[in-house]
Amino acid sequence: MKSKMKKDSKFDEEFQKSQQLTVESDSDFGYEDSSQDYGSEDSYASSEFEDGDSSSSGDEDHLGDDNSKDAEAGKGGPSKDEDFTYTGGSLALGVANDQEDGSGDSEIHQGVETDSSEDEVAPRNTIGDVPLKWYEDEPHIGYDVKGKRILKREKQDKLDSFLASADDPSSWRKFYDEVNDEVVELTKEEAKVISKMIKGHAPHSHFDPYPDYVDWFKWDDAIHPLSNAPEPKRRFIPSKWEARKVVRYVRAIRKGLITFDKPKEEDGPYLLWGNDSGSTEKSNHLAYIPAPKPKVPGHEESYNPPLEYIPTQEEINSYQLMDDEDRPKFIPKRFTCLRSIPAYENYVQERFDRCLDLFLCPRVRKKRLHVDPDSLKPKLPSRKDLKPYPMACYIEYKGHEDAVTSISVEASGQWMASGSSDGTVRIWDVPTGRCLRRWEIGEAITCVAWNPLSDMRILAVSAGQDVLMLNAGLGDEEEQKKIRELLYVEPSAPDNSDGKTLSVSWHQDDKHEALKLKHLKTVTAVEWHRKGDYFSSVMPAGESRAVLIHQLSKKFTQMLPYRLHGLAVRSTFHPTRSFFFICTKKTVRVYDLLKKKLIKKLDTGLHEASSIAVHPGGDNLIVGSKEGKMCWFDMDLSSKPYRVLKCHPKDINNVVFHRTYPLFASCSDDSTAYIFHGMVYSDPNQDPLIVPLEILRGHASSNGRGILDCKFHPSLPWLFTAGADKVIKLYCH
Amino acid sequence: MDVDMVEEAEGTSRKIQVRFVTKLKPPFKVPNSVISIPANLTRFGVSSVINSLLEATGDPDYKPEPFDILIDGELVRMSLEEFLAVKGISVEKILEIEYTKVVAPRKEEDPALHDDWVSAVDGSSSRFFLTGCYDGLGRVWEGAGLCTYILEGHTDAITSVSVINHKGAGTCTLATASNDRTLRLWKLNLDEAIEHPMKISAFKILSGHKDTVKSVGTQTSGEMICSGSWDSTIKLWQTEFDVEGDVSIKKRKVKDQDEESQLEGEAVSTLLGHTQHVSSVVWPQRDTIYSASWDHSVRKWDVETGKDSLNIFCGKALNCLDVGGEGSALIVAGGSDPVLRIWDPRKPGTSAPVFQFASHTSWISACKWHDNSWFHLLSASYDGKVMLWDTRTAWPLSVIESHSDKVLCADWWRSDSVISGGADSKVCISSQISVQ
Repeated sequence: MKSKMKKDSKFDEEFQKSQQLTVESDSDFGYEDSSQDYGSEDSYASSEFEDGDSSSSGDEDHLGDDNSKDAEAGKGGPSKDEDFTYTGGSLALGVANDQEDGSGDSEIHQGVETDSSEDEVAPRNTIGDVPLKWYEDEPHIGYDVKGKRILKREKQDKLDSFLASADDPSSWRKFYDEVNDEVVELTKEEAKVISKMIKGHAPHSHFDPYPDYVDWFKWDDAIHPLSNAPEPKRRFIPSKWEARKVVRYVRAIRKGLITFDKPKEEDGPYLLWGNDSGSTEKSNHLAYIPAPKPKVPGHEESYNPPLEYIPTQEEINSYQLMDDEDRPKFIPKRFTCLRSIPAYENYVQERFDRCLDLFLCPRVRKKRLHVDPDSLKPKLPSRKDLKPYPMACYIEYKGHEDAVTSISVEASGQWMASGSSDGTVRIWDVPTGRCLRRWEIGEAITCVAWNPLSDMRILAVSAGQDVLMLNAGLGDEEEQKKIRELLYVEPSAPDNSDGKTLSVSWHQDDKHEALKLKHLKTVTAVEWHRKGDYFSSVMPAGESRAVLIHQLSKKFTQMLPYRLHGLAVRSTFHPTRSFFFICTKKTVRVYDLLKKKLIKKLDTGLHEASSIAVHPGGDNLIVGSKEGKMCWFDMDLSSKPYRVLKCHPKDINNVVFHRTYPLFASCSDDSTAYIFHGMVYSDPNQDPLIVPLEILRGHASSNGRGILDCKFHPSLPWLFTAGADKVIKLYCH
Repeated sequence: MDVDMVEEAEGTSRKIQVRFVTKLKPPFKVPNSVISIPANLTRFGVSSVINSLLEATGDPDYKPEPFDILIDGELVRMSLEEFLAVKGISVEKILEIEYTKVVAPRKEEDPALHDDWVSAVDGSSSRFFLTGCYDGLGRVWEGAGLCTYILEGHTDAITSVSVINHKGAGTCTLATASNDRTLRLWKLNLDEAIEHPMKISAFKILSGHKDTVKSVGTQTSGEMICSGSWDSTIKLWQTEFDVEGDVSIKKRKVKDQDEESQLEGEAVSTLLGHTQHVSSVVWPQRDTIYSASWDHSVRKWDVETGKDSLNIFCGKALNCLDVGGEGSALIVAGGSDPVLRIWDPRKPGTSAPVFQFASHTSWISACKWHDNSWFHLLSASYDGKVMLWDTRTAWPLSVIESHSDKVLCADWWRSDSVISGGADSKVCISSQISVQ
């Protein structure tokens, strides 16, 4: 203890000398005035020392003992002397000085880091525990063994030190140890350790905080279960809990509470700027319709086009021969420079056209319908299902010397009569084609018609201004007698006595043993009533007496009390009722003969009707016209045609219905006859079905005329056609 | 005769073993030995082989004869090879070839000329044949140019004629139907030496039809005849003179001169059922009448009851009908189309034709089975052709084109000739047809 005291005293003396100027009197401490005037800034230490000095030695001992014990326990005691001298100040240093702190840290690590030798080096300065401050202003620090001052290192200028540090790449690892008055340079490893510690990582660089897990347990060979307990029952029964959960999910899905996202379809590549072509296809709002674009000028419109665009003189000349439409609008020309280009002569015209284009362009989007043309065709039954109908010609009736103008088939179907332009009427045997009888009338025959009664075979023939009632000479004697009586008329002079000129006079024609009805004008058509007593004759030029109705049994002629509008063409009787049809060139009028009034007027819409036929049912009729059209009227439906069939390129000469089969036919000057299926249903709501079936060819054209008349066989689906080529043909099924 | 050709052919094609059989009489019989002939031979080649065989075996003045060959009952119309391939017959085993004489007329006799269209012929009597004409006269011919009788009396065209009892040696009864709504019965005494032609008039007039009579058929016994008419009825009439006595005898003066008595007969019964013109009637068995009509049907009538027991619907208006052929039961009919149809009424449950022959080009006007053959028949058509058919092949055996206009009627005569009449006013006789 005494030695220590001695040392202290020495210190004090030196200090007093060096620090007298700098030390300021501290008013806080009341001990300044006491014996020693070395009150330092470090009040702790000084007070301790003062305590030790001034108050009691016993206390000092205590203190000293404690310190020494502490030091021995904590540090293992570097050097005894130094320790003792430092005991009082070690605490003070620990608090006050950073450098000490650092060294203290390194001392703590001593136990772990055995390699670090630097820190083990004992402090080389000799100043002991005295604060460094005391040597701050001194050129030396401490004393060596001989008592000589140990000089401080020469202090570097700040600028120099900066430059040096800038030059030295390891300067960041260097720092100045004030205590030992030396520059310490840390190694890179040390610097790393420090930086790791600062970051809070493990200081050693080889330490792996996340090593791979090594599973040391051997799983494979275990043949015995880990547990010997039997399998619990719940593993074998369906879980109620799961079932409930499923039920809850199912309900939620049903209610729509749970919806599933549909898998999103992957967007393929798409056009970034939309489709060029369909840019105008925008629906449900008014879309912009771009104006038509003018043609973009090409190379040939250049002022100096390539030579191949420039036409030669020959080509230019050939343009003059072309039509205006074919001629190119622009002829390329070549100019050497822009200056020499004249004004474009068509400029105003083209601008004007362009304006017209823009102005008149219909900015309306046209909807194009994509309809399969086949689907627009009406669904018609197949021809095969509509058999029988006439198909092929098997029998020809030859003998006439001129065009056969009219034919008529007798009610039984065995005989057929024909009238020709050569002035003869012939009767043919239908199955063999043999001509049975022949009358020379002398005038061109316009119409022949059998009496519809099968036991009254009278043939009505119209030739010129006469209508002849010929006795066909068929049948037994009783029938002949009856017919002869019927056809007998007394030579009657007094007929003219009543003053007014009758339109028709009844005569006996001895030459043909026939009855002759002399008309005023040319008769074109004769038609029988179904009961065979009445017949009508048509004189187109007869004006108000154009259509007359005659009664054979009473030899009586009556005019129709109606005014005809237009030229009468044909007339016909209703097949079942007392109706009478008069066909004029444009209309068909239906009269009721009993009530004597006009019932219906049918507007054909044709230019010139030529023929008329009434369906045996009586509600439908067809009208053929000279422009090749055929109109089907449904009289219950409308006064307009139900169908207009345009099939013949030339005049239709006759149209005819079959009496029993659902067939009708038309014949025309184009030497063809058309067969149609014309089914009229008894159900009034069902429209008639019209199906074209067959085109019958075979007749030759003569003087521009083809088939002049056609008639169906009364009981079989056969068609007779009378041609201008003097032949009558029979088409059979 | 064509052995060279046969030998030539032998070199190229394979051969088949054949044996020739025939039903012909000895001069045409070849030895029953197996010979091998080339497979590509046609009918002509086989025929020449047979002829050469016959020539080799038979007498020296043998004349070659064309033969038709049949294999398994079917006439061969192509080369043997093709035929066997089509029929699936093995070429390995021995083939039996039956040969017959070719059915074709070898001789056209002079036509029997008429004044008008010939509408009906009947060749059921071997001594003569009967024709009906549109001039209202019936004619009996003993040969092509030999007209023995002229049947005078009808006021309109004759449509059908029939020989009633041709078996009787001396006298013979004829029936004619006409467009004048009557049928007339005529009697001939064939043995009488007369100067030709002799005009005779009918001994009986059968009237009652309301329209033209188109067809007449006789019962095999000859006691009754039936007639089909345009009034859709079939009427049955008695023919016998004596039986007539107790019906109604009317003596009737023929208008102008003859004091000859003419009987007038009335129909025994009428068969109603057809709805249209009855175009053809035949009476092949005692109780059965077959009829064809324009109402597209063929009917079989029971004479006793007057009911139709069979009704075949054909779809075409029919013109002619005959019953015969195999078992005398096949019905052949032709009509308003070019197809000749043959039905077998014994086949149950079907009314489809068993054969259809379609080589004509126009309406068929007549068809007749051969009396003695099961297979042969003829047909006449408006296209001017008469065709001979064998039911064992679908092609016509031969086509007779002697008419220049419609053929209206045709019949077999003396079982080896075909007589046909047509609209060219000729009756053509094609003779020497070798039907077995």
